[in-house]
Amino acid sequence: MHKNKLNNSLNLKLDHVSNALKKSVKNIDSYTHVRGESLYVDDVIVRQGTFHAVVFDSPKAHGIIKSIDYSKAEALEGVERIFTCKDIPGKNEIGGIIHDEPLFAENEVHFWGMPIALIVAKTEFIARKARELIQIEIEELPVITTAKEAKVKGSFINAPRSFSLGDTEKAFSSCEYIFEGETFSNGQEHLYIEAQGAYSEPLENGNIKITSSTQGPTSVQKTIANVLGIAMHKIEVDVTRLGGGFGGKEDQATPWAVMAALATYYLNKSVKLILNRHDDLRMTGKRHPYESTYKIGLSKDLKILAYQVEFLQNSGAAADLSPAIAERTLFHATNSYYVPNVLSKVLSCKTNLPPNTAFRGFGGPQGMFVIESAIAKAASKIGVSARQIQETNLLNENDTFSYGQIAKKVEAKNTWNSAKDIFDIDALEDEIEYFNKNNATFKKGLALMPITFGISFTNTSMNHARALVHIYLDGSIGISTAAVEMGQGVNTKIMQIAAQVFSVSLDKIKIETTNTTRVANTSPSAASSTADLNGKSTLMACNSLLERLKKVASENLNVLEENIKLKDEFVYINDEKSNLSWTELISKAMFNRVALTENAHYATPEIHFDKTKEKGHPFAYHVYGTAIFTTTVDCIRGTYEFDSVKIVHDYGKSMSEGIDLGQVEGALVQGIGWMTMEEIAYNSNGKLLSNALSTYKVPDVFSVPKSIEVIPVETDGNDMAILKSKAVGEPPLMYGIGAYFAIQNAIKAFNPNYKVKFHAPMTPEKVLMSLYSE
Amino acid sequence: MPTFNLKINNETHTVEADMDTPLLWVLRDQIDLVGTKFGCGIGQCGACTVHVDGNAMRSCLLQVSQAEGMNITTIEGLSEDGTHPVQEAWKEIDVPQCGYCQSGQIMTASAFLSKNPNPSDSQIRNAMHGNICRCASYNSIEEAVKVAADKLS
Repeated sequence: MHKNKLNNSLNLKLDHVSNALKKSVKNIDSYTHVRGESLYVDDVIVRQGTFHAVVFDSPKAHGIIKSIDYSKAEALEGVERIFTCKDIPGKNEIGGIIHDEPLFAENEVHFWGMPIALIVAKTEFIARKARELIQIEIEELPVITTAKEAKVKGSFINAPRSFSLGDTEKAFSSCEYIFEGETFSNGQEHLYIEAQGAYSEPLENGNIKITSSTQGPTSVQKTIANVLGIAMHKIEVDVTRLGGGFGGKEDQATPWAVMAALATYYLNKSVKLILNRHDDLRMTGKRHPYESTYKIGLSKDLKILAYQVEFLQNSGAAADLSPAIAERTLFHATNSYYVPNVLSKVLSCKTNLPPNTAFRGFGGPQGMFVIESAIAKAASKIGVSARQIQETNLLNENDTFSYGQIAKKVEAKNTWNSAKDIFDIDALEDEIEYFNKNNATFKKGLALMPITFGISFTNTSMNHARALVHIYLDGSIGISTAAVEMGQGVNTKIMQIAAQVFSVSLDKIKIETTNTTRVANTSPSAASSTADLNGKSTLMACNSLLERLKKVASENLNVLEENIKLKDEFVYINDEKSNLSWTELISKAMFNRVALTENAHYATPEIHFDKTKEKGHPFAYHVYGTAIFTTTVDCIRGTYEFDSVKIVHDYGKSMSEGIDLGQVEGALVQGIGWMTMEEIAYNSNGKLLSNALSTYKVPDVFSVPKSIEVIPVETDGNDMAILKSKAVGEPPLMYGIGAYFAIQNAIKAFNPNYKVKFHAPMTPEKVLMSLYSE
Repeated sequence: MPTFNLKINNETHTVEADMDTPLLWVLRDQIDLVGTKFGCGIGQCGACTVHVDGNAMRSCLLQVSQAEGMNITTIEGLSEDGTHPVQEAWKEIDVPQCGYCQSGQIMTASAFLSKNPNPSDSQIRNAMHGNICRCASYNSIEEAVKVAADKLS
């Protein structure tokens, strides 16, 4: 039902897209996926004599290693060798942004699950058995698990960052209302169903090939080269696809690939290292928990005049991507609102948790949760609905973000008003009021959630990609880019682009694996930008080839180039079909020694950011949208379900409707999970308690809202987006924040004494306590 | 090491394994049927679902010694050419995103529909709720199960 609705409304606006595009909106991997034939790293056929590896990790969160006895493990039959920091020929260093993270612990351990050694054996089973035989003695040091504690102790990753706009101090003095408060949002486990892993093979001359489940092939390559002390060109990284990434494989796919490569380097044998689920959960970082304090000031007519916020990011034991994530928190601290006076500050707090890392939204959701909390608190104190404050402060065209970028082509109000109109918000509210009046044990709540999310890596220098397009002499096409397919459908989109430019059928096109020998120096597939960056470079390469082919056709057919068009695998002259087919045209080009390969480089224009001033224009564009949540809370049990989520979303002009809808739904549900049920728990010793799928609950088929409707907002699209089709991977996750506030409103309908708390996730346990709180 | 005769996808395979080796590892590592995936190892995610005598079971929990003499079907054997109505429905609705959990989803759905070809929405949810999809393609999964049911009836 929901899908048809989208299709109908989109069909009207897709006239500019060719038939090839319209027809090809299905995921090109569907065929192999449904037959179990799609290959992930654990499925590749390994060489005979391949060794299997298991990581030995720290059983304490912080301490000095007094002794380790490997002798019993080494003596176990089938164990080939155990590698430690002493075996590293290059640098024992894997930190991407800050060099503060060793591959293997040296004298100290900094988190529970920190890798100490790699056990390589004939089978994984033997390696696991050997792991149990290792004896380690650790002199324990004090453990920090929360950001607040780290702040008190002065434990930070780097210097704090701060954005400011206007003069908050002055503005607060003229506010009618001022409110202060604290919020907490917990971490989130990625739970890609395919766990981390890599397979390493020796090639000649000491070269190594790695098959990795990584979003960042180049960072794998660079880090291996650095750890082994060899040149990057000796390392080839290949990625077919990922069984889910969600940010968890942007930086943290690297250590396992490096360890496998290290073993291959010494043993000259293939080595496979696939983490099992428990190891993966224990050893890898998650979405950052944030503890934040805010102060919000409003005028009498509910304009937010000033907003001051301090974010404490629980970064874990090493920097990983935390500084970049902290930065994005600042970029999105005011979500979809124009606030003329802002002072935002973020501190990346060093604790003894596994280094927390990228997760869909990349710090943005944490920032948005705080301002939505501030608005909810202000609303409840003033005695208005949060909706009134939200609506009063939505961004307008040419408003300034706190980081200096001027908002252009703003759709904040458009999506908000469209959502209210299309979904008849007044009727919804009446319905809920009526229901709540007539039900004692079930209560409904409603919340609106606008989103504004900036597209581009905020580190400007990362916004580039390359595409290598070959047309083979039989007319078939192979395309290599830097894009890693992980379910977001980027390969399908790239295929659509080439199919449109050449006007050939999709079966003429193959998207190759992502490989560092074909496309080098890549940025990771992240920041929702993969389709934009790699799609644009593919478009450039294909257009260059097209010009060349038109020239060949013009010479052969003796007509002017401008009168030539390629259509449905034939050359057309003045819109009349000629006898020259695509394959013949390619043969003629070959015969005339015309290059049928093109490499194109795309770098996003116009973007810049000056970190010394914390001002600039970091984003190519923004994605907007508004979601309306309705929930029903069972006031006896504390359980809840979402009756509906109704969204007006800014796709630009979607080039792949089905894929984009899947991204919206998937991100939404992941956001709901983060806000409601996914509860990461560490004990005070820094041990992960939610260490299996039996103790960490992620959304299942019952958790999905009973109805999800997504309507595209009518826009012209944005030229900075690929074929005007805007990035879609991350922004809809933040709709999920609405789930939290809808539940709060339902609780208030049951318990008028309830004092709203901003402590996510809002688990059924917390709901139950809140329903009966004094 | 004991020897087991396993009937998998209508072929008999003789394998050597410890009694308590999970069937999943025998399928993947010894018989090279890698369409069945490892997800969690404790029967909580459904990625490793296969049919055992027509019932959807978690192959990570089933010991190879228990599987002897039973009819085991994996995703590779669900249909000869990938045209089982559930597979067709999955393609039609374009369910998969990353794809990793989909073999398990399809095996659960096909076993369920063989017993209940005309299910209600809540029966579908009850049948599918043990299969986790982190891409959250649940709406599409539900829709595809309905489409498959239509195809089967």
